[in-house]
Amino acid sequence: MNAPSGGLVALLWTLNVVVDTAGQLAFKAAAHDAHESDGLQRWRHMASRPWLWLGIGCYIAEFLVWLAFLSLVPLSEGVLLGSINIVVVMLAGRLLFGERLSRMRTAGILLIATGVALVGLP
Amino acid sequence: MRRFYVIGFGLLLLFDTLAQISFKLAGDYALPLEFGPAWLLRVFGAPWIYGAFVGYVGAFFTWMTLLRHAPIGPAFAASHLEIVSVLLLSHGLFDEHIGTLQLLGALCIVAGILCLAVGETESERAGATLEHLPPAPHEPPR
Repeated sequence: MNAPSGGLVALLWTLNVVVDTAGQLAFKAAAHDAHESDGLQRWRHMASRPWLWLGIGCYIAEFLVWLAFLSLVPLSEGVLLGSINIVVVMLAGRLLFGERLSRMRTAGILLIATGVALVGLP
Repeated sequence: MRRFYVIGFGLLLLFDTLAQISFKLAGDYALPLEFGPAWLLRVFGAPWIYGAFVGYVGAFFTWMTLLRHAPIGPAFAASHLEIVSVLLLSHGLFDEHIGTLQLLGALCIVAGILCLAVGETESERAGATLEHLPPAPHEPPR
């Protein structure tokens, strides 16, 4: 991270967290928005609203950001930092959708984030 | 709801794993890597890349169905079980080495999933409503 391109790495990483989180929240908003209809009608409803498309747009942007990020840092470091996304999405779900964070839920999410970080360690 | 989650996350795991393994097989088959039509022909001439497409599209539709009920925080975390399945399969299929830390990480992920499962079962038994969502019309009120 203290290479000459450290600033760029930090910027790309921040972008990755932002885009990944925004994408997941948009998907949740799309699914939440259309939870009253069923089957094909539900998909039609989701396709007619911006949320689903915002989510897909974020996925495409994330793909490019991730590609650029991985060209500057080793994959293991990338995976390691990706575990932060899990915690950010958890907090965002709490703030924006009022999702309950019981002790078991929080423990489970933090364990998974730790596990992802461990897998990513060189 | 338990069945919905078990089937949903099971399918998601299957599609995600299929996509990753297929990408690897497609890439291996098309070696050597070169940026030209010959390489693309090799990639699309073998069945593997289509497995990756099926995996991606299947995972997308499964994920959007899951999110109808599942809270995004725990669900997004749980979707990382894919890392464990890909780790184990890449060891079995491609003889990739699994280090101690990776094994420990995989165990942490599985333990986290178990915590989430126990947490959901407890809150359902306690009769707590799942989330902010009202029950879907075809379901009995919780």
